[in-house]
Amino acid sequence: MLRLVGQRLLALVPLLFLVSILTFSFTALLPGDPVDLIIGDEGTSEQYEMIRERLGLNEPVLTRYAIWLGKAARGDFGTSFFNSVEVWDAVMLRFPVTLSLTFAAALIAIIVGVGAGILAALHPGSWIDRLATLGATLGQAIPNFWFGIVLAAFFAVNLRWFPATGYVPLSESPIEWLRSITLPALALGLSASAALARQARSAMVGVLQQDYIQAARAQGLSARRVIFKHALKNAMIPVVTVLAFQINVLLGGALIVEQVFSINGLGSLAIAAVRQQDIPMIQGIVLVTVAIVVVIQLLTDLAYGYLNPKARPA
Amino acid sequence: MNKWLSNVVLAFALSIGLGAGSAIAADAPSGTFKFADLVKLVTLDPHKHTGGGIPYLTPVYESLFQRTPDDQIKPRLATGFDATGLKVNITLRNDVRFSDGEPFNADAVVANLTRAMELGVQRPLSALESVVATGEYSVEITLSRPSPSIIVSLAGIAGMMVSPKALDDPALDRNPVGTGPYLYNADQSREGEVRVYTINGSYWDPDAQGLERIEIWEMPDNTARLNALSTGQIDMGAWLSSPQALQVSKSDGLTLIRRPGGFTYTIIILDKDGGVIPAFADKRVRQAMSYAIDRQAFADVIQFGLATPAVQPVGAGHWAYNADLAGKYEYNPDKARKLLADAGYADGFSFTMPSIAVFLSRTEALAGFFADIGITMNIETIEPGTLARRSRTTDFPATNLVWVINTDLSNLPSLYLEPGAAFNPFKVAPSAKLNELAAKGAANFDLEMRAPAYREMFEVIADEAFLIYITSGQQLVGASDKIANNPTVVFSPGVFSPIWHGLRLNR
Repeated sequence: MLRLVGQRLLALVPLLFLVSILTFSFTALLPGDPVDLIIGDEGTSEQYEMIRERLGLNEPVLTRYAIWLGKAARGDFGTSFFNSVEVWDAVMLRFPVTLSLTFAAALIAIIVGVGAGILAALHPGSWIDRLATLGATLGQAIPNFWFGIVLAAFFAVNLRWFPATGYVPLSESPIEWLRSITLPALALGLSASAALARQARSAMVGVLQQDYIQAARAQGLSARRVIFKHALKNAMIPVVTVLAFQINVLLGGALIVEQVFSINGLGSLAIAAVRQQDIPMIQGIVLVTVAIVVVIQLLTDLAYGYLNPKARPA
Repeated sequence: MNKWLSNVVLAFALSIGLGAGSAIAADAPSGTFKFADLVKLVTLDPHKHTGGGIPYLTPVYESLFQRTPDDQIKPRLATGFDATGLKVNITLRNDVRFSDGEPFNADAVVANLTRAMELGVQRPLSALESVVATGEYSVEITLSRPSPSIIVSLAGIAGMMVSPKALDDPALDRNPVGTGPYLYNADQSREGEVRVYTINGSYWDPDAQGLERIEIWEMPDNTARLNALSTGQIDMGAWLSSPQALQVSKSDGLTLIRRPGGFTYTIIILDKDGGVIPAFADKRVRQAMSYAIDRQAFADVIQFGLATPAVQPVGAGHWAYNADLAGKYEYNPDKARKLLADAGYADGFSFTMPSIAVFLSRTEALAGFFADIGITMNIETIEPGTLARRSRTTDFPATNLVWVINTDLSNLPSLYLEPGAAFNPFKVAPSAKLNELAAKGAANFDLEMRAPAYREMFEVIADEAFLIYITSGQQLVGASDKIANNPTVVFSPGVFSPIWHGLRLNR
């Protein structure tokens, strides 16, 4: 197990290296220019040249990349083009916020999605099944940012049950954290739950038709024991695969939903950085996001091992 | 009886006590004012500041002069000025210190203006040749060219004073030190989310401090800002014309405060000589384009009724507004077609117009109007943030930009008309009449003396139709009814946030 974790973490280094090359190349290909924004609409060509020189933008792309890589290898991800804010500080300030939102949304997706999928599988063809299918179809069809706007309009603006904007850290006030995270997490999580529900239903239906389940039932085991002890664990293997994928999707979705709820997470930072072409900031955000995705994949593999002994590393 | 008497005495004592307490509370700074800006903070260094985001600066920094709500210029850190030719002498207050204890004096003003001139970001200061101290509390500015707007400029960001000690701080953009009534509280601020300002205990004019705390929230999303305002999470927010701004105006308990200012959306014919698009050299063609635009429909549909038709850069209420031009270029496609035919373009012509994504609804509407009279306007979408720079090149024969209404009109020639103007890439010289009026408008500090020259200039511009103005926006601020009706909530022209000096919440 430890070997697997070690191998994966080591593999992260060349992956981040490759990703940094790709990100740098893409930012170099962008047609806009951050210096335009720095000098403003009325800036002169002299100022334009002066600032390009100061930011090193007149250097060839390879030289710029080599300078950046040299510093990044020493843990220095640079500062924003626009102010004195350190990239690492800016990313780490927002990282817990986005992580918190993503995992709250994943929790909702698991509870709602897996719950609805199992219920539908246990009563195939019933109204519960049809309701779950309808919910799953709607969940996949509705964009999460639109759902977020509707949730905010109804539960925050009309009913005033939750704050319409902002985020309160868990360490500051667990109750206010819960209030601030509920609507954005629901907006994100419910659409992800749709995919989980469909997967959980089909996996569970398949498992419940297996001979060993029939045998367990024939032995007179209670329905609860059959489902939770024998069926669920096996049905969860494909669900975990979808969940890992959905968490990555949630991470991407959080970038948009954060805007709707004015949450100061990686999404808000990413959007501002891309709009301004703040290249050091974009690099920092992409690298941290890639690291998160790799860790999620690692956790998925570990979960496979738990659910299926055959999949455990030697 | 004794109990009754003691209750009366107690009630009397309490009422006196409470009364006294209320009197104290009314004068002591109290409450938190929460303002949401539509742009995220980039820098708190005024000398490097461009574009929006002025509300983040105003609690901390004060300028040499100030613009009053009725657009008069009054001294703030200065006590007065005297201008003769290219020399401007400014006298300064002698009782002001920066919040870090540094004295405010002539040396501080020289250090600030010199740094701002060297950085070159504050365009109004490009008219300054030098600034020297002529006494402990007086400075002399030498201008390189007549600049009637210099005092107005020194009432804005260009005149904001930073502590000379802080000018050496490489992180000045996050550690602002000014003379203002409030201090930037870095500990309570959250980067990228909210900036917190608390009271400056050593402020030179304590009567002007009415608040305990100011919070400026970074909320670029229109819906989020609307929701925050609707639920009382913020007291006030800045808006541009948008469906959400319209929603503010229609919501119970909220007021959309509309002030003169904002932006005038403009088509600029860059290829005035017709080197690329020969039709543009003919005045009748340009006038036809102006007649082809249904400005009222444009304002109502594209700008949600939050703008008004315009044929000049400034809106009604501005000191140079020319009322005689109202009604000129009324939508008249038949007249437009006739003008085109007279110019020899009955079959129309085509040209390419750049557009950034947020202007697409505008450029597409314009393309529709022009198509109606036979002109094909191809739209080329370009990257956000590049429109101004591309408009300074010969990449396009025409462009579309906004004129910031609060910009002093002496900048109009240097931006659009002069051969070396920023948005005159084909370097076409203006007519002698325009040159004469530009010089007249810039030859005086007195607005009443300047206004006739600009009014006449607007008539000439309308006739020549190189600059086709379409709509004038307003400075839009959404607020709760209570805040909107608070008499201490007043605004300086061109700034979204209220004037913090004297603002009290208990009014």
